[in-house]
Amino acid sequence: MNSASVAERPAPVSEKKPKYMLCEGNEAAALGVALARPDMVALYPITPQSSLVEHLAKLVADGRMDADVVEAEGEHSVLSVLQGATLAGGRTYTATCGPGLAFMFEPYFRTAGMRLPMVMTIVTRDGITPQSVWGGHQDAMTVREVGWVQIYCESVQEVLDTTVMAFKIAEHHDVMLPVNVCLDGNYLSYGSARIEMPEQAEVDAFMGGKDVNWHVALDPLRPMAVDPMTGNASGSGPATFVRYRKGQCRGMQNALKVIEEVHADWGRRIGRHYAPLVEEYRLDDADFALLTLGSMTGAAKDAVDEARAAGRRIGLIKIKTFSPFPIDALQRALRNVKALGVVDRSVAFRWNCGPMFQETLGVLYRLDRHLPAQSFIGGLAGADITVEHFHRVINDTEALMQQPERIYHEPVWLNEKD
Amino acid sequence: MGNACNTITFNAAQCDGCGLCMTACAETKGSARIQVLPAEDKTYALSLCRQCGDPHCVSTCPTGALTKDVDTGVIAWNGDKCVDCLLCTVGCSYAGISLDAQTRRVVKCDTCDGAPACAAACPTKALRYVTTARIYNEVRDWEDLFAPGLSGCQGCNTELLMRHTMRRVGPDSVLATPPGCVPGMGSVGFNGLAGTKVPVFHPLLTNTAAMLAGVKRQYNRLGREVTAIAIAGDGGAADVGFQSLSGAAERGEQMLFMVIDNEGYMNTGMQRSGCTPFGAWTSTTPVGPESRGKSQDAKNLPLIMMQHRCAYVATASTAYMEDFYDKLDRAIQAAKTGFAYLHVYSPCTTGWRFPADQNMEVARKAVETNFVLLWEYTPGQGLRFTHAPDNPLPVTAYLKVMGRFRHLSPEQISHIQNKIEENSAFVTSLAQSAAAQA
Amino acid sequence: MDATQYLIVGSSHAAIEAVNAIRLHDAEGSLTLATKDSQLPYSPTVLPYVVSGRSSPDRAFLRDDNFFARQKVDFRRGCALSALDPQRKLARFADGSEIAFDKILLATGAAPVRPPIPGLDTVPCHVLRTLDDATGLRAASGRARRAVVLGGGLVGMHAAENLVEAGQVEVTIVEMNSQVMGGYFDATAAALIEKAFAAHGARLLTGHKVVAAAPAGQGAVLALDNGENLEADLLLVAVGVQPDLGYLNGSGVACQAGILVDDTMQTSAAGVWAAGDCAQARNFFTGTNTLNAILPAAAEQGRIAGMAMAGDSDLKPYRGGVPLNTYRFFGHHALSVGNGDAPPGAEVMTRLDEAQGRYLKAIFHEDCLRGIFAIDEFFDGGVMWELIRRRIDLSAMRERFFADPLAAGRELMSQHWR
Repeated sequence: MNSASVAERPAPVSEKKPKYMLCEGNEAAALGVALARPDMVALYPITPQSSLVEHLAKLVADGRMDADVVEAEGEHSVLSVLQGATLAGGRTYTATCGPGLAFMFEPYFRTAGMRLPMVMTIVTRDGITPQSVWGGHQDAMTVREVGWVQIYCESVQEVLDTTVMAFKIAEHHDVMLPVNVCLDGNYLSYGSARIEMPEQAEVDAFMGGKDVNWHVALDPLRPMAVDPMTGNASGSGPATFVRYRKGQCRGMQNALKVIEEVHADWGRRIGRHYAPLVEEYRLDDADFALLTLGSMTGAAKDAVDEARAAGRRIGLIKIKTFSPFPIDALQRALRNVKALGVVDRSVAFRWNCGPMFQETLGVLYRLDRHLPAQSFIGGLAGADITVEHFHRVINDTEALMQQPERIYHEPVWLNEKD
Repeated sequence: MGNACNTITFNAAQCDGCGLCMTACAETKGSARIQVLPAEDKTYALSLCRQCGDPHCVSTCPTGALTKDVDTGVIAWNGDKCVDCLLCTVGCSYAGISLDAQTRRVVKCDTCDGAPACAAACPTKALRYVTTARIYNEVRDWEDLFAPGLSGCQGCNTELLMRHTMRRVGPDSVLATPPGCVPGMGSVGFNGLAGTKVPVFHPLLTNTAAMLAGVKRQYNRLGREVTAIAIAGDGGAADVGFQSLSGAAERGEQMLFMVIDNEGYMNTGMQRSGCTPFGAWTSTTPVGPESRGKSQDAKNLPLIMMQHRCAYVATASTAYMEDFYDKLDRAIQAAKTGFAYLHVYSPCTTGWRFPADQNMEVARKAVETNFVLLWEYTPGQGLRFTHAPDNPLPVTAYLKVMGRFRHLSPEQISHIQNKIEENSAFVTSLAQSAAAQA
Repeated sequence: MDATQYLIVGSSHAAIEAVNAIRLHDAEGSLTLATKDSQLPYSPTVLPYVVSGRSSPDRAFLRDDNFFARQKVDFRRGCALSALDPQRKLARFADGSEIAFDKILLATGAAPVRPPIPGLDTVPCHVLRTLDDATGLRAASGRARRAVVLGGGLVGMHAAENLVEAGQVEVTIVEMNSQVMGGYFDATAAALIEKAFAAHGARLLTGHKVVAAAPAGQGAVLALDNGENLEADLLLVAVGVQPDLGYLNGSGVACQAGILVDDTMQTSAAGVWAAGDCAQARNFFTGTNTLNAILPAAAEQGRIAGMAMAGDSDLKPYRGGVPLNTYRFFGHHALSVGNGDAPPGAEVMTRLDEAQGRYLKAIFHEDCLRGIFAIDEFFDGGVMWELIRRRIDLSAMRERFFADPLAAGRELMSQHWR
């Protein structure tokens, strides 16, 4: 893993001495949770998430976080107990991955349907079979169609900052959707880096008031039936259902704007800026580009820098917000790109490519030209995608420029012969 | 409205004509005010004052010697005012007040001031002093928290349970009704219309206890006293929902978890559950040349919950509402500090195949045969029976009142009988050891 | 002028039952009960016991003021009805006051009949219908030495027994019929009763009439139709009662000996009901309207009238009056239920134990019980009343029934109406 790309820092907002510390990504996530002051965290350990919930438990045990801790008996109940607390007005958080995410699928689906503004970290993990406890995006990618906002982090600092921002995004009245903060198992979860801790008061000011169940509540002071049955097609059932589904989709689209606003606000107050949807790196005069996601981006940027030094006109696009898919931002980034190499850390089985590649195909359709693109799949089961791997991606992508009409056929497997 | 009053009831089917009630009455009162009479087909009838609500003995008394006490319900006779005219005996169509040949005065039942000697002396429980009046007098004043017209099957006792339970629990509560008959009857509502006056929700079939725990914990955090209550079916509790139930019980989550056990997935078409008893027909354990109903015994969920050392665990039956209410009160209390589990047996008119007017009778037979044992448990006191399991009827008395057991072979019946005895012996040993430690 | 929704005139059994029945159905409608009596409600039936001292006058009341308060009744004593205008729905009272009503129940009872004996109006004599009568008769009994009772019915026989028990009085009963208690018992039973009276020193003159009366000292002398003269320092006239219906003059309400009513106790006038001793209702056996001045009939009629007035849909029409009575004399019990006439085809069963003074008689007609009469034989009068009114077929068990009517009656009860 390479160092994170933190945008140029403006003058410090506060006169106070910055508070630096060294920590792993899992701890950074826990610290971000504590800063957001949740009412309840529910814990169930799973590799490579375990140290995250251990840090949470310790923060509460040490009196550094005032939250109710539920040591649930499984991920299914983890999410369920948080749903209950959210319906009673609580701000809630948990983290999981891989098999745990699969197990909680039933309440996971429902969290978005009930528009519960919850935050859950996915410490991404490959799997489930062949058995693997190592990193990879397969878990988060598999549930990308369930209605959660999904944001991927590149660095330990970004994990901390994004975790706080995730609560603000989820609870925004125009969104009211649960948010996954995705951090790469192994590379971000256990990778240690220096971070700067924001002041609690600054975060409190950033967060503002908490209002998580204004739209749906289990409260004897305002009794309502939560999630009554919609009737069958002989009555108004389907129409009611459509109204809810459209609302979900509207919330998802609203999230694009809200994510940008929240990142801007965070930058203004805390002094750290991130590209909220799509980051463009050395792209202005680039002829071809890489498309990356998550922690691999560090190595990719190093490879791009080396290729640039060699005089090749290469740029990089990183997706931070994967769900909702940043269609317009990506289309803008691709405005001058003549060949694209998309690197995925998981598989889209049906299209024989990476899932991000598959999503990108939809954006390419919106261009008024054919843009040759190639899917690269690497970093499965914890494999490292090194600068060398990215040079191969760069070479292959550059070669595409010579075949402007080429149609995608099959992926390139990066770690196949490691 | 008038009060409900406690009363002596007579179940002719259980009377063997031994006459001990008459002896007990005569010993207590000097002469018997109760009479057991031979009736048709070796059965017995009873003549005893019914303490009528609109007593004609009182209307025909010329001296005001007879008065109806509206609080106790007892029609009292004042010997000082009575002039022995006997007009009361003409007014009564039920031979409830009659001339005593010894004293030459009228005598009638006064319920021994609320502790009738006849009922205490009855060895077969044909005579019982039913003291449920307290419940109904209280319930009357509590708000019904469900919408009118819940759409249960005809004769189902679940609506009764839901309404009575929520009346007792009251409006400061959050109600979880996971998929099954309860929301099927409209507890949560349809198309945006609520079925109750309290906050109510469908949990998933799998996560009732967990969701409810989250609600309750958040209100604890806010310093608000809210009762978290689930009314669930046996399938969601014993099968797919068991993990969250067990987890919440182990953590001592503060809630009242009530299971309405109709021994199967009745709402979806009467499929087998882990609580379906051996031999029972269900739509997934059908009867045919290769199948004779369910081939395994039921899971004993209440005993499993007891092993979680919950703050309170009890079994109940709608045939014994007073017992149910006592347990409901204790469960509500226990749910303030821990996990309270109430397992109520609920005969299913549709799925068990019996006439719609027989629900209470089927429920009663289950208890009378020890097919269902009524007990309660607390960690401090252990397990105790709330209804003596002595002298049970043979299980055939229970099996024969419904259709789902109609196909049973003698071997299957004897298997069920053996399991009842095994279970009864096991639970009895738990009760005995608890009693020995007390 | 006062107005009330329900006006009840009278305060004995029919009136009280009507109050109860109205209040069961209509808890609030204004209800006024007016009685000519100055006392709380009492039963004429209790009066012989007041005379004997068995009941004290201050404890003989059926209900107290609390009853009227609880039932929200405007209870007015000393209000004798003097005129009724059913068209204008007005009741006028002796003091000139008027009450407007929606519905009225006439439960004014009956008054003692004074036989047309020449000179009777010139001699001091007692009747027994009011509490004042009873206290007056009791006071006179203590001073009397020679008492004559005119009439061998219930009232006369009761009073005679009281006088006999008082000790120092010579008592003579004059009954113009051939036996005493003619309305309820046959000659055999009457003979047992007469024997008991004779054994206690009373003289019975059955089959004789008083033809003239004249004052003699503080008392009277009575000339009998056999030429004998009876001296009496206490004379009680107890030859029966009949309704006093002067207040209906000009009202248009149909009357014969009593007020004619249908099976809901409604009179010929809309809004006007009648019940009790003043009403002439259907006879169970004959189907014609007859007087049946007994307490159980008054209570039942009052209840029906009250339900009809209140519009109670549970009202079941009157099944017809059945004569019945209980009579206790010198420690013996006599019970009479039903019709003592034996029509053609009827079967009469009797059992007499002259030594013990026990007698039982049952009349069966068309397979059903028609009447049962006993002295010191025991059965449940109410059960017998139901057997008659329900026309229970006893053909299969007639012998067993007659052998032990108490046990058989209860057995039948358990089969038919438990």
